[in-house]
Amino acid sequence: MKNTIKVERAKKNWTQADLAKHIGVSRQGLNSIETGKFIPSTLLALRMAKVFNTTVEALFQLDDIDAF
Amino acid sequence: MERSKKILNQQSIISALIYGATYLPVVWLLKHRVFGQPVSVIIAIVPIITFSIFIFKYIKAFSAMDEVKQRVQFEAVVIGFALTAMLAMILFLLGLCGISIPGWFGYAYLLCYCWLFYFIGWLISIRKYGL
Repeated sequence: MKNTIKVERAKKNWTQADLAKHIGVSRQGLNSIETGKFIPSTLLALRMAKVFNTTVEALFQLDDIDAF
Repeated sequence: MERSKKILNQQSIISALIYGATYLPVVWLLKHRVFGQPVSVIIAIVPIITFSIFIFKYIKAFSAMDEVKQRVQFEAVVIGFALTAMLAMILFLLGLCGISIPGWFGYAYLLCYCWLFYFIGWLISIRKYGL
């Protein structure tokens, strides 16, 4: 699964710590999500989409290997 | 919110240290038979109480963690439990074959291995999620 969290974060000029605070996770946790090592729950994905004023689909996309 | 999470986390670590601090002296006292049997039984209950408190605090801290940290703890516990169960099973089956090494694999050591396996699981998990 790939995501555009870094891009959205850059648009808002937020650091990882800023976004982590907004969505209620640790900075290390957010880094893990942003780098694709951890796939967040629906709740967290929705929270992220809300703070970026976008949709979950725009924020997270399936990789070629994820889609079948 | 973030502060209360930290406090819960610290409380679980402190209660684990208290458990360790009670367990080791109790083992020493019981091993050297310092007291009679009735008193020894009462002393033996002390680490059980501190361990129960630790588990209670750990569960409270777990429920306050974010989902990435919850996953790390979950995987660490699963790996720790699975490896401990495997070791216990191996020792039991070897025991049935008449092979036992109580000097290295007694009940007390099994507990130490359980903690060791938990930390192995924890290290694997934090590496996996890049924490």
